Amino acid sequence: MTELLAMDYRPVLAIMCPIIASFLILVSGRRPNIRESWTIIGSISLFLIVLSMTPFVLKEGPIKCSLFKLFPNIDFAFNVDAFGLIFATTSSCLWILVSLFSIGYMRGLEEHAQTRYYFCFALAILGAIGIALSANLVTLYIFYEILTISTYPLVAHDESPEAIYAGHKYLAYLLTAGVFFLLGILVIYFLVGTTDFAPNGILKPALGSTSRLVLQALFFVFMLAFMKAAWMPVHSWLPTAMIAPTPVSALLHAVAVVKAGVFGIIRTVYYVYGTDLMHELNLGLALGLLASFTIIVANFYAIGQVNLKRLLAYSTINQLSVIILGAALLSPMAATSAMIHIAYHGFMKITLFLCAGAIIVITGKTEISQMRGIGRQMPITMTAFSIAAIGMCGAPPVAGFISKWYLCLGTLQAGQVIFLGVVLISALLDVVYFFPVIKTAFFEKLAVPALANGGEVGEKTIEAERPLYLFMIIPLAITAIFSIIFCLFPHTFHILDLAEMAVRNLFGGM
Amino acid sequence: MEKIISNSPALIVVIPLISAFLTLGIGVLKKKFCYPFAVIALSLSVFSSVVTLNTIIKTGTIHYHLGGWDPPWGIEYVVDYLNGLILVAIAIIGLMIVIFSKETVKMELPERIPFFYTIFLLEVTGLLGIVVTGDMFNLYVFLEIASLAGYALIAIGEDGAPLASFRYVIMGTIGACFYLLGVGYLYIMTGSLNMADLTQILPNFYHSKVIMVAFVFFVVGVAIKMALFPLHTWLPDAYTRAPSAVSALLAPLMTKVGVYVMIRILFTVFRPEFPIKMLHATDIMAWFGTFAILFGGIMALSQTDFKRMLCYIIVAEIGYMVGGIGMANALAIKGAIFHIINDMFMAACLFLVAGIVMHETGGHDISDFTGIFRKMPFTAAIFMVGALAVIGVPPTCGFFSKWYLLLGGIEAKHWGFVMALLLCTLMNVALFFRVIDKGLYVHALEHKLEHASEPKELQFHEAPLSMLIPGFIIAIAIFLIGIFNQAILKNIIELAIPSGL
Repeated sequence: MTELLAMDYRPVLAIMCPIIASFLILVSGRRPNIRESWTIIGSISLFLIVLSMTPFVLKEGPIKCSLFKLFPNIDFAFNVDAFGLIFATTSSCLWILVSLFSIGYMRGLEEHAQTRYYFCFALAILGAIGIALSANLVTLYIFYEILTISTYPLVAHDESPEAIYAGHKYLAYLLTAGVFFLLGILVIYFLVGTTDFAPNGILKPALGSTSRLVLQALFFVFMLAFMKAAWMPVHSWLPTAMIAPTPVSALLHAVAVVKAGVFGIIRTVYYVYGTDLMHELNLGLALGLLASFTIIVANFYAIGQVNLKRLLAYSTINQLSVIILGAALLSPMAATSAMIHIAYHGFMKITLFLCAGAIIVITGKTEISQMRGIGRQMPITMTAFSIAAIGMCGAPPVAGFISKWYLCLGTLQAGQVIFLGVVLISALLDVVYFFPVIKTAFFEKLAVPALANGGEVGEKTIEAERPLYLFMIIPLAITAIFSIIFCLFPHTFHILDLAEMAVRNLFGGM
Repeated sequence: MEKIISNSPALIVVIPLISAFLTLGIGVLKKKFCYPFAVIALSLSVFSSVVTLNTIIKTGTIHYHLGGWDPPWGIEYVVDYLNGLILVAIAIIGLMIVIFSKETVKMELPERIPFFYTIFLLEVTGLLGIVVTGDMFNLYVFLEIASLAGYALIAIGEDGAPLASFRYVIMGTIGACFYLLGVGYLYIMTGSLNMADLTQILPNFYHSKVIMVAFVFFVVGVAIKMALFPLHTWLPDAYTRAPSAVSALLAPLMTKVGVYVMIRILFTVFRPEFPIKMLHATDIMAWFGTFAILFGGIMALSQTDFKRMLCYIIVAEIGYMVGGIGMANALAIKGAIFHIINDMFMAACLFLVAGIVMHETGGHDISDFTGIFRKMPFTAAIFMVGALAVIGVPPTCGFFSKWYLLLGGIEAKHWGFVMALLLCTLMNVALFFRVIDKGLYVHALEHKLEHASEPKELQFHEAPLSMLIPGFIIAIAIFLIGIFNQAILKNIIELAIPSGL
C-alpha cells in the first residue's frame, strides 16, 4: 500500500487531462464557447504537467508508475523517460496551438459535428500522450489502438463519399497494422516473457532459443505494425487522409499519428531489440535502406503534386523516413537527430499545415497554381510558411538545420557515407518542391480577382479581416517563431537535453 | 443463513424452477405481477450463485448430494472453479435480460406475458442446471429442458420464427439423440453415470471401441447444440427471428454452455490424455475451430441484418473457443474458458442493443442504425463497448481472452488458428465500422432533410431506462472484467484448468 502511495502519479494526471476534457466536451456540446474552453484548459494543464516532469526526469531518471496487472509480468504501466518526454512535450504543446487554430478553422468554415470533432481530437491526444509515456509494448499497443480509432471520425469528418472512403482506407491500413503489432508483441512475450522497454533491449536472450531468421522476420512484423510511420510502400493512407479538416492533418498527420509510428520504431529498435542485436542481425542496414528508398521516392512524389496539402503529405512521408534513417544508423549522433527531429519536425510541419489551413479558410484555395500573389494578401501566413519550408530543407536558422547537422554527423559516425549522400540529396530535393510554392506566393501577380463576391481585391492584406481569423494566424506565427527559436536555442523545453540524456542511456556516453 | 449457504448449489436451480410454475399461476391472477416476480426469482438465483462461488473460493469444490442420496446412485451436483464462475455469469446475464425484457415483451408479445416468463424461467433453469450438475444423465435432462424451452421461445417470434424454430427442433433433437446414445454406451460399459465416478472407471476402457464411439457421439451431439461449423445451420435463422429478449438470452448463453459441456466431457469425464494423445480429437477440433472462425467472419460480412450478422459472429466466436480447446495446452484452455465468460457478456451486450433498436425503430437491419449516435447516444455508447469488445480492443475483456488464445496458438505452433484469429479481428472491424458509419455520418442526410422538412428522423428519442440500465451494467462489466482480468484468472480460472494438460 505504501508503495502505491509513494508512486509519482503525474503520468496518470497527464493521461487524465484529455480524458476529463473529452468528457466535458461531450457534456457541454450545446454551448460552443464553454466546449472550446474545456479543450484549451485541458491542453494547457496537460502541457504544464508534462513540462513539470522534465526537470525531474533530467535530474533523477525515469518516473515509473504502474497501475494494474494486465498479464503475468505485464503491467498497465507508465515509464516517463527522456525519449518519451520529447514526444509528449511536442504533442501537448502543439495541442494548445492547434486547438486555438481549430476554433478559427471550424467556425470560419461553419463545419458540422464540431462536438464530435473536439471530442475525438482530445481522445487522439490521449492516445499520443499514452504512447509517449507507456512503459511496455502492451500499454503502448492499447494507446496505439485508441489513437487509430479516435482519429477515424476525424479523417472522415467531411462525410462525403470521398471522405468516408479515405476513412475506410485509413482504418484498413492502420488496424491491419494493429493486428501485426499484436502478433509481434505475442511472439516477443512468448520468447522472452516480458515486454518492458529497456535501454539495451530485451530480445537478446531469445537469440539462444530461436533462429536469427525468426528475429529478423519479427522485426519486419514490427515494421508493418508501425505503418503509422508511413514508410513506402505502405504510405498511401497518408495522402488519402489529407481530406480531413486541416487542423486534423496538422496535428494528427504531422505530429500525433505519424510520430507515434516513428516513436514506435525507435522504441523497437533501441528499447526492444537494442543496438547490439540490431548490429548482429544486420537490421540497421536493412532499415536504413528502406528509409532511404522512402526518402528519395517520396521527394519525387512531392515534386509532382499540385495540391498543397498533398504536397505536405509527401513531404511528411519523406521527413518521417529521415527520422527512421536516424534510428537505423545506430550511432549516437544519428539517434540524437532522430529524437530531436520528432519535436522539431513537428513544429515545422505543423506550421506548414496551419498555413495551408488558413489559406483554405480565408481564400478557399487548395491548389498551388491558385496561390499566385497570395503572399501579399496573407504576408504573415506566407512568411511563416517560408520559414518552415526553409527549415524542412535543413537550412539555418531554422530548427531543421540542427537535426540535419546531427544526422550528417551520425552517418559519418556510423561510417555509412552512402546515407550521407541520401540525406544531402533529400535536402536538395526539398528545395525543389518547396521553393516553387514560395515563388508562386510572393513573386507572381494575381491573375484574376479572387474573392467570390467579385469585389476589388487588389493586393491588400485580408488576413485580419475578421477577428476569427486571428485564431488561425496567431498559432501559426507562434509555431514559426518556435521553429527559429529551436535552432538558436536548441535547449528550449529541454528537447536537446532530453535527447542527449536518452542517447547517453542507450550508448553510454557520446 | 447456514442452511442457505450449504444448500446454495441446489437453490440455484430450484428457485427458477419453482418460480417458473408460480409465474404461470400469478399470471392467471394478475398479468403485471409476472415481471417483478421473475426479476425477484432471478435476483435470488444470482445471490445463490455468488454465494456458491464464494464458498468455492474459500473451501474448494462443493459436492452436493441431492436428496441425501450418495453418488454414484443419487444425483450429485458438483461445483468447482470452472462451473462456479460460469454459473455466476449465466445468472447475472439472465437477470439483466429479464430486466431488459419488460418493454420488449410488452411491445412484441402483449398477450403472452405469463407464458413468456414461465418459459423464460424454465430456460434459465435448464442453462443453470446443465452447468451445475455432476451427472451425465441429469445433464441430458437439463439440456432438454433448456432446448425445449428454447424452441418454444423462438417460435413466438416474428415472421418465419415457427419455421426457424422447427429447423432448430430437428437439429437440436438429433444432437440430443447423439448425446443420449453416448450416455447409454457409457452406462453399458461402466454401469455409472456420475462424472467423478466415470473419471475413475473409464481409463480401464480407453481401448474399447464402444467408448470411442460414445466419445464421438458426445462431441457431435454437443457440437450441434453449440452450433459449431458446419453444424451451425439452425442458429442464424433461429436467433434472428426470435423475440428480442429471447435472442438476448439464448444467443449469449446456450452456445457457450455447450462449450462448457464440451470442456467437461473432454477433460473431466475423460482424462485429457484420451482425447489429446489417444484419439487426436483435439487436432481435428483445432481445424474445425479455425474454419468456423473464417466461415463465421465471411458470412457475417455479407449480412444486411444486424441480428443475423451477430449470429454469424457467434459462429465465429464458437470457433475461437473450440479452437482454443483444440490447442490442448493450458494457455489456450485458459483463454477458451475466459472467452466463455467474456463472450457471454459481449453477445448479451450486442443483442441487447439490437433489442433496443428494434424497440425504437421497429427493425433490426443495419440501416435501422442510421444516426443512432445522434438520436440514441446512450444506446450508441453501449453498442460501441460491445463492438470494441468483440473486435478485441483493450481494455475491454475481449482483448484479454484473445491474448491467451493467441498465445496458446503460438505455443502449439498452430499458425492456421493464429492467422484465423487475427484475420477475424480485421473482419470484425469491417463489420462493426459498417454499422458505426451508418450511425455516425448523418450530416449529409441531415442536409437533405433540412430542405424538405424538419429532420424528424434524427431527433433525440432514447430507449426507456429499463432497457438502458441492464445495457450499462453489462457494458461496465465488460470493462471491469478486462481491467481486473488478472484477479479473475488467478483466483478462479487458473484453478479451473483441467489437470493433466
